[in-house]
Amino acid sequence: MTDLLIEPFRLPYMQRALLEVLLLGVLAGAVGVFVVLRRLAFVSDALTHTVFPGVVIAHLLDRSLLLGALAFGVLTAVLLTAIGANRRVGADATLAILLTSFFSLGVVLVSRTSTYTADLTVFLFGRVLAVDRADLLQTLALAAVVLGTLWALRKELVLRAFDPDGAAAMGYRTALLDLVLNLLIALVVVAAVKAVGTVLVVALIVVPAAAARLVADRVATTTVLSCLLGALGGWVGLAVSYVVSVDHGVRLAAGATIVVVLVVLFALAAAAAPVRRRLTARAAPR
Amino acid sequence: MSELLGTFSDGFARRALLEAVMVGGLCGVIGVHVLLRRLPFFTMALGHATFPGVVLAALLGVNLFLGATLFGAIVVLVVALLGARERVDETSAIGVTLSGAFALGVLLLSAQDGFSRDLAAYLVGSIVTVQRGDLLTTAVAGTAVLTVLALLHKELVFGAFDRAGLAALGYPVLALDVALLLLVEVTLVTSIPAVGTILAVALIVAPAAAARLWTERLGATMALAAALGAASGVAGLAISQHWRVAAGATIVLVAAGLFAVSLVAAPRHGLLARLRTRRHRGTAAPRPTDRAAATPATR
Repeated sequence: MTDLLIEPFRLPYMQRALLEVLLLGVLAGAVGVFVVLRRLAFVSDALTHTVFPGVVIAHLLDRSLLLGALAFGVLTAVLLTAIGANRRVGADATLAILLTSFFSLGVVLVSRTSTYTADLTVFLFGRVLAVDRADLLQTLALAAVVLGTLWALRKELVLRAFDPDGAAAMGYRTALLDLVLNLLIALVVVAAVKAVGTVLVVALIVVPAAAARLVADRVATTTVLSCLLGALGGWVGLAVSYVVSVDHGVRLAAGATIVVVLVVLFALAAAAAPVRRRLTARAAPR
Repeated sequence: MSELLGTFSDGFARRALLEAVMVGGLCGVIGVHVLLRRLPFFTMALGHATFPGVVLAALLGVNLFLGATLFGAIVVLVVALLGARERVDETSAIGVTLSGAFALGVLLLSAQDGFSRDLAAYLVGSIVTVQRGDLLTTAVAGTAVLTVLALLHKELVFGAFDRAGLAALGYPVLALDVALLLLVEVTLVTSIPAVGTILAVALIVAPAAAARLWTERLGATMALAAALGAASGVAGLAISQHWRVAAGATIVLVAAGLFAVSLVAAPRHGLLARLRTRRHRGTAAPRPTDRAAATPATR
């Protein structure tokens, strides 16, 4: 077991990759709880795709990826609200169209570069082993901002999730809260884009949180569990991908392995949930 | 314009053009049903989920359509089973299935050589390389889907607007639901060579959503959606050939552009028309017929 979980991380680039996925696991796990509570899986999927052209443009112009992604994250949030208000179209059709057209914009822009398919693959699936010190620092800073905001707004966000009318009646600006949550999702996408790519971020956000929700009842417990599951999935996925690729000669993409490990964890949680429910029911008979 | 059309003089370009017209038309028609039943997210998930099926089929050397269709069917089942659990809502169930299946596809592909090139072709399509066989498949699958849609038209539309009423009349509601999902799946799989797994959902949703803004009648909506889909295919292809950018993505951008134009300019539901009526009436009162006539029962 130690061979699998400790041994691969003797190399410096593997240590950096491990740190990065642990940070991302915690970060995405925490945001994911609110995504799952609010049933925003489709919205976060859309945001991961719509941020893509921002990243590409920033890359082409040699500017900060963060700014590009942030600009498109805001643009998506605004367009989503504006077009979704036309009842003839509806929110889900709006999301699907925004998602695919923004994504296409990114693809068209990348297709202008000479190293088209290689670039596209990096943007879509990331390259966690190429993470350097600057990337780690940026992820750390983003994690601090996102987790800090979540902590500061936890009461309001939970209220908004469970009782939107109540939150509005109490004078909270629910639209502003929604915008903040969407921006936090966009920030997670930005943090994760280099490591796991735009397409698989949504898995980091949704899967650990959905798994945690299966086995925990309180929001605080769910959040802690979701962060732990996210980090665990990153660790095990990275280790498995390394061991299989190096020792057994079958190359496994690191990002995709992490997601598959997360889905396995979700399946375990789904299997454990009924057992746990029966145990608690016996402990506290009504 | 003639310069743009002149790019279609080659054999491969002509094949691409034919494929674009057929796929665009087919997607437009099925898209109206997808919108009526609020299935865009599900379609999206299905698009991602067929991906490992395509990869597996390519690895095993069996028919791509078969692999994708089978895997898609499995995914439909998993989503239905997961969504039935009390603590997993349907959106999260789709989210988990979608990302899991997608990662599985990437994983399978990454174990192969030539990783990034093949992957890009599956994801964003490669319409200029469609073969005669692809064209034939599209024609056969398209005809089959359209025939079934025409035969079941009355029942499907009734089910979209009033599912309980259809069940009360003794129709097999569940079988009809599954039939429609399968039709959506076949359409998706058919469009993969042209626009790829991620972008196929755009060709299904965007033309139909645009058409719904122009007309109230269902038959007219379908005809218009098919025309818009085919037009997006042709225009996108011409633009991409002329400026040397990715074809599938350009087709999607044209479809989204047509939707954006409709959103602004459509006669009754467009932005301009709304502004005009608002100014005319002096209030922003909603039109009473608007919602009642056009909204199906949510499932």
